[in-house]
Amino acid sequence: METFKKAPILATILFIAFLPASLSWAGEIKGKVTAQGMRSPENIAVYVDTIPGKSFDPPSQHVVVDQKKMTFIPHVVVVLKGTTVDFLNSDPVGHNVYWPSISGNKKLAHNLGTWPKGEKKSFQFNDLGTASLLCNVHPEMSGYVVVVATPYFAVTNKEGEFEIKDVPSGHYTLKTWSEEGKPVTQAVDVSSGTARVELTVKK
Amino acid sequence: MLQRKASTSLLGAALGVSFLLWLVLGSVPRTSAIPAFARKYQTSCSTCHNNYPELNDFGEAFKKNGFKFPKDDDTFVKEAPVMLGAKAQREAFPKAVYPGEMPGSLPLGFRYSGVATYNSKQPSSLGFLPRTDLFTPNAFTIIAAGSFGPTLSFWIDNDISAGGANAAAGLGDGYLKVNDIGHYLGLPKDTLNIRVGQFELDLPFTQARSINLTPYDIYNQAGIAGAQGTTNNPFLLNIPQRGIEIGGYPNDGNFAWSVAVVNGSNNNPATRNSKDVYVRVSQRFNLERDASVRNDVQAAGPTGPRDHTSIRFGGFYYYGRNALNLDPTSPDFIPNVGTIHEPFYRAGADFRFKYRSFELYGLGMYGHDTNLLAMPATGAPLGFSPGPPVTFSGGLAEAEYWFYPWFIGLMRYDVVNSPTDFLNGASRHDTRNRLSPGVQLLVRSNLKLAFEYQRGWQQPIPNAQQFFRLNGFATGIDYSF
Repeated sequence: METFKKAPILATILFIAFLPASLSWAGEIKGKVTAQGMRSPENIAVYVDTIPGKSFDPPSQHVVVDQKKMTFIPHVVVVLKGTTVDFLNSDPVGHNVYWPSISGNKKLAHNLGTWPKGEKKSFQFNDLGTASLLCNVHPEMSGYVVVVATPYFAVTNKEGEFEIKDVPSGHYTLKTWSEEGKPVTQAVDVSSGTARVELTVKK
Repeated sequence: MLQRKASTSLLGAALGVSFLLWLVLGSVPRTSAIPAFARKYQTSCSTCHNNYPELNDFGEAFKKNGFKFPKDDDTFVKEAPVMLGAKAQREAFPKAVYPGEMPGSLPLGFRYSGVATYNSKQPSSLGFLPRTDLFTPNAFTIIAAGSFGPTLSFWIDNDISAGGANAAAGLGDGYLKVNDIGHYLGLPKDTLNIRVGQFELDLPFTQARSINLTPYDIYNQAGIAGAQGTTNNPFLLNIPQRGIEIGGYPNDGNFAWSVAVVNGSNNNPATRNSKDVYVRVSQRFNLERDASVRNDVQAAGPTGPRDHTSIRFGGFYYYGRNALNLDPTSPDFIPNVGTIHEPFYRAGADFRFKYRSFELYGLGMYGHDTNLLAMPATGAPLGFSPGPPVTFSGGLAEAEYWFYPWFIGLMRYDVVNSPTDFLNGASRHDTRNRLSPGVQLLVRSNLKLAFEYQRGWQQPIPNAQQFFRLNGFATGIDYSF
């Protein structure tokens, strides 16, 4: 009988004890990007900018960018700084991957050479910024690797929607990168649950 | 001094006008850039062309494969063809029309051409020749090409309007090709193809799709006796001929052969009963150090796919029987002597060397036309006897270097040795030389600006013991869409 009387008290104590922990549980950032003057709101990178005092270890799993039907797939990929990207060739023609700079820094230009169907070449991106992927024999091919400082990022779908999961509670700066539009910066507060954001990217 | 200053300022003005006008108009002689293919595959011109219309290794393979990607063509097509029957109709044949396909949209490309020229001053006794001529030749060309399925391909190009020297008005090539017909005979891939219609012969170096602003002199050499006899052969190697050609590219295209039977009357209806024959063979030797890439369409370079390091040797032979005195209704008809047959041939050898950003190629050729002399030499002929044949020899050598993918330097040398032309007053010596340095700029993948200087041979000035050299500077652009 005494045990039953003590149960609510115990539950309350436990709730109060774990309350701070619940407050630091991951939330998410969801939203929509509207494109003005651009063909489409698709393939816009949305990411949490550098968090002062915080660094993140790159994932051990590699990210894959394929070359198929003379197209880089996916067209835009966002990676955490230090991530290794595998460039795969799935076409029965020789392809090449190079970038003339990373965010305009030509010292970071790189050319991976040529490799046949079924093979891949890897590169670890250790510098923040955007690498414009090109193929020197098929100049219409275009892709992008956006290297960011945090693991909290997403790429918009055809409707411009995005979802960034597992974002710890806190106050952050959200940024965008797009092929045609100017970057946008917006502050966002993430508590437990979902933070909704509406962004407009202009050409 | 005044004359030199005037020449210099005129040259500067011509260059300035050319530079402004290239923004709007201009082109080079007929080429084979095919925007229709770029649209079909949603790919840039540079996929197949390294200095269009010149083809890179991939473009050569594409062309030889009936204007299809060498491997897995279907996966690259972005513009679905119109099916003219389900594939299963093949089983229903002959009780149904064999199924085919045609391009999903009109496979058309367009080009406007114009070449601005600046000529050296010509002696007045030779007539008036303007020092500058803005955009002549001047042509608008339609090009259509593609395939009607796995084994049928076609090409049509037509200059809708043209004018001036070196312009080619009218139909250029118009042919249908059956690719890999040898497959049905159990032969290796691409061993046997058949092409019918009007087409440029399988020349070592195309004239119709040349990168140069001016034609190759040796191709333009005809067998004309003039005052030296009766030979009056209109045949020119660089003019499209009408006929049937069989050929093939076995061994991944490293070996090529062709045999064509043609009218021999250039791109005109037949003018005689006999047909001519043209034969060509060539062998390419792949010089890539890495043996594993030799069978690939392109070599794997450190900065991307590139043409194989290679050297190609080839030979060609053309035989025909020109005929004169055929038409009894002609005012020139000579009665009682019958048809005059004058066999002729052209024979030559060629090479092409490629190494990274450098190409060197050339050919040598010998031409021989039977020449008959009238008997008696004066008055109405009663017959003809063999005279000294009309012969000529010569060739060309050209080098290209890509300083950048868009900036190409050229140097070309043409030479023709024709004793008959010399005797007929065409040149100071038996041998005519021409040196043509040039520069080409790919402003865009489908827009090219070309500059070419020609240092011509010495020509006699009539009624004077003097000679002059007709030099010239040409500029033009080529754009297609």
